[in-house]
Amino acid sequence: MASSVPPPPPAIALDGLAKTFPGGVEAVAPTTLTLEAGRTTALVGPSGCGKSTILRLIAGLETPSAGGVDIAGEPPLAIRRRGELAVAFQDPSLLPWRSVRGNVALAMTLARRPTDPRAIDRLIDLVGLGGFGDTRPGALSGGMRQRAAIARCLVTEPRLLLLDEPFGAVDELTRRQLAQDLPRIWEARGTTTLLVTHSVSEAVTLADRILVFSPRPATVVADIDVPFERPRAPGLATRPEAIALAERVSSALAEGRAARERSLAAQ
Amino acid sequence: MSAIASEAPRRSWRPPAAVLGVLAILAVWELSARALAGAYLLAGPSDVTAYLWQNAGLMGRALRATLAEAAAGFVIGNAAAILLAALALLWPRAERGIAALALLVFCLPLVATGPILRVLFGPGPGPQITLAALAVYYTTLVPLLVGLRAAPSTWFDLVHSYGRGRLAELWHIRAMAALPYLFAGLQIAAPAAFLGAMVGEFTGAERGMGVLTIRAMRALDVEATWALAAVAALVSMAAYGAFGWLARRVLTEAPPVILAAPGGAATPRRGEGLARIAVVTVLALALWWGLLEAFGVNAFFAKRPDDVWAFLITAPDAGENRATLFGALAETAVYVLPGYLAGLALGAGLAVLLTLLPALAGAAMPVAIALRSVPIVTTAPLIVLVLGRGATGTVALVAVMVFFPTLIACLHGLRQAPGQVLDVFDAYASGRWRRLVHAQVPAMWPAFFATVRIAVPAAVLAVTVVEWLATGRGVGALMALSASLSDYGMLWSAVVVVAVLSCALYAVVAAVEARVLAIYAAEQGR
Ligand SMILES: Nc1ncnc2c1ncn2[C@@H]1O[C@H](COP(=O)(O)OP(=O)(O)O)[C@@H](O)[C@H]1O
Ligand SMILES: [Mg+2]
Repeated sequence: MASSVPPPPPAIALDGLAKTFPGGVEAVAPTTLTLEAGRTTALVGPSGCGKSTILRLIAGLETPSAGGVDIAGEPPLAIRRRGELAVAFQDPSLLPWRSVRGNVALAMTLARRPTDPRAIDRLIDLVGLGGFGDTRPGALSGGMRQRAAIARCLVTEPRLLLLDEPFGAVDELTRRQLAQDLPRIWEARGTTTLLVTHSVSEAVTLADRILVFSPRPATVVADIDVPFERPRAPGLATRPEAIALAERVSSALAEGRAARERSLAAQ
Repeated sequence: MSAIASEAPRRSWRPPAAVLGVLAILAVWELSARALAGAYLLAGPSDVTAYLWQNAGLMGRALRATLAEAAAGFVIGNAAAILLAALALLWPRAERGIAALALLVFCLPLVATGPILRVLFGPGPGPQITLAALAVYYTTLVPLLVGLRAAPSTWFDLVHSYGRGRLAELWHIRAMAALPYLFAGLQIAAPAAFLGAMVGEFTGAERGMGVLTIRAMRALDVEATWALAAVAALVSMAAYGAFGWLARRVLTEAPPVILAAPGGAATPRRGEGLARIAVVTVLALALWWGLLEAFGVNAFFAKRPDDVWAFLITAPDAGENRATLFGALAETAVYVLPGYLAGLALGAGLAVLLTLLPALAGAAMPVAIALRSVPIVTTAPLIVLVLGRGATGTVALVAVMVFFPTLIACLHGLRQAPGQVLDVFDAYASGRWRRLVHAQVPAMWPAFFATVRIAVPAAVLAVTVVEWLATGRGVGALMALSASLSDYGMLWSAVVVVAVLSCALYAVVAAVEARVLAIYAAEQGR
């Protein structure tokens, strides 16, 4: 098979997607929106609002209680079956009996790709874990584990990348470095990326579009376009227009919370 | 986590403490032997060594025979455990049924199963191998059932996110996550297989350690009895140690300590429980009947369920049969209950005491672990030799059989008190006693109850062996008598009644456990 022309990244359509858990917890209110192919969309919202649930619904790991998900005209299972999806779960979920290299290699095995040791080591270096390839997760810090999980995500060259707070435990300095390096990978390949984060500045520097969610059940309270050119300059976050954008996101978050409180008080 | 006490810090190897402990035991042993010389009770380490030296050929042949049987039984029993666990995984609804049926079979009294297997197999190692397999499969099955589910759901999400299904789950996640649990089972199984083989030899074999043991006991050959017990103990400790070593080489984490199926959780509603018992009973009866029919064994040796029913209920002399059997059971109960309770109390009590004296605990733990691996039943002739054929010997044997697993389980349990909770106690500068009562003892309950349950079949095994071999009382002796008189109706009935009573006792303990854990260890109970 010629791998010279990679398949185009998929667009994602959520059609009235909603999730209420069996216990009665309504996590996601009916949501209809489209995520453009090849772009990075950030989902920002208070913790517990249902961001992870949306991500899991898109991956097809959770069944919607209403509505559906459509990835390039197919249900999520199709893209999963082809090994073209990768998810960085909120918990790094590395297998403790495998080394960092073994964990990254596992993704290739699961995606039915031939294991490519050079690609694996390149990614381990890229996420700053060079020299830790043979280390088991138990001996790594939380941030290092998350970086290993990111390497595992990228090694299969996915067309759709779902990242759930991938930098939550990563220290500030490394996070900035990763924010520089990682987008290059998915920009070059034109991956459709979904980034769940609670960090406004991360959303502004990494995303092309920011969806701001209300507290649970998740509803979109703001849909903000991020007009900065790519590749993003290292100092972007400190530029006045980036700061202005971040303030817009923050006030949308605050507005979402206030609106939810008003509606609760009205009941 | 309920009965699963993952050993957070790897069991640290303390050569000085362990070596000192062993040396102390050897010294006490030798000195008492010297002091009691002439009483024909004790042979010290020097006597044992001399005996082994002089009879190396004989002992070597016997040991080889027993080891071969134990190894075959070990492989078969553990393979069966793995197959059953796989079946439970493929068919989750059947898991409880499989576990209950497995427990029932595990509760079959080995001493009586031995002669039955003897007539079914004829001469040769068949019965010994089968008993060895029966002695090991349950203690491997239980941790495996837990281990195959001991993975957080996100690991499965990872597999699913690449579009892979249950086979990949099994291969990449479950099998690997279960490995430490499998090793925990195998480690306990290694000495248990040796025990099973020896009990098989007790009940009529041509060669092996068990045969020599019986002969030495009948001849009141003190040195041979001690030498055989010492070899059995050493082999068991070596097997236990070898699997521990292997586990440390293969695993990235310490094997968990699992003694019995996690209990306490998910008590079924009464109707459900009864339905389950009914299903398991029907299955057991069908299996029993089907196996005998399938192999077409002679109805004189191989009693079917209806034969046992007739023997105990409908036959003209059924009343007499019942009186004999239940009379023997009552006699056994008088020995087994005090021994069982004493073993539990002493084990738990010493564990608590050692926790108050941490320095001593460090030295006691390796010794206790080493002795726990000794299949006490194989040393039954010794205890009889020293304590006599009366009540004391029997009660002591049962107590010792229960004591070591309880001690170790409780020590592990006491260590399970969460560090942060203990920190809170320390922050208030509470004394050791308060820490113990409010944090450590509650943390001990799940492990304690797990041993209380699994000690039921262990105690039954101990008491029936010693009654069979030595005391001439109780249900063990009745089984021996029935076997020698070819009274297969009585033998089969005794096996069935003992197994059912053991299971019932196990269930009673499980019910008490559920109540206690609901109060003391809500989040540990589930
Ligand atoms: N499997 C589940 N069962 C029941 N409730 C759940 C489950 N998963 C998440 N929830 C609930 O759904 C809500 C949203 O959770 P989540 O999507 O993880 O939030 P976020 O990622 O935004 O922090 C929370 O209230 C959470 O408790
Ligand atoms: Mg989340």
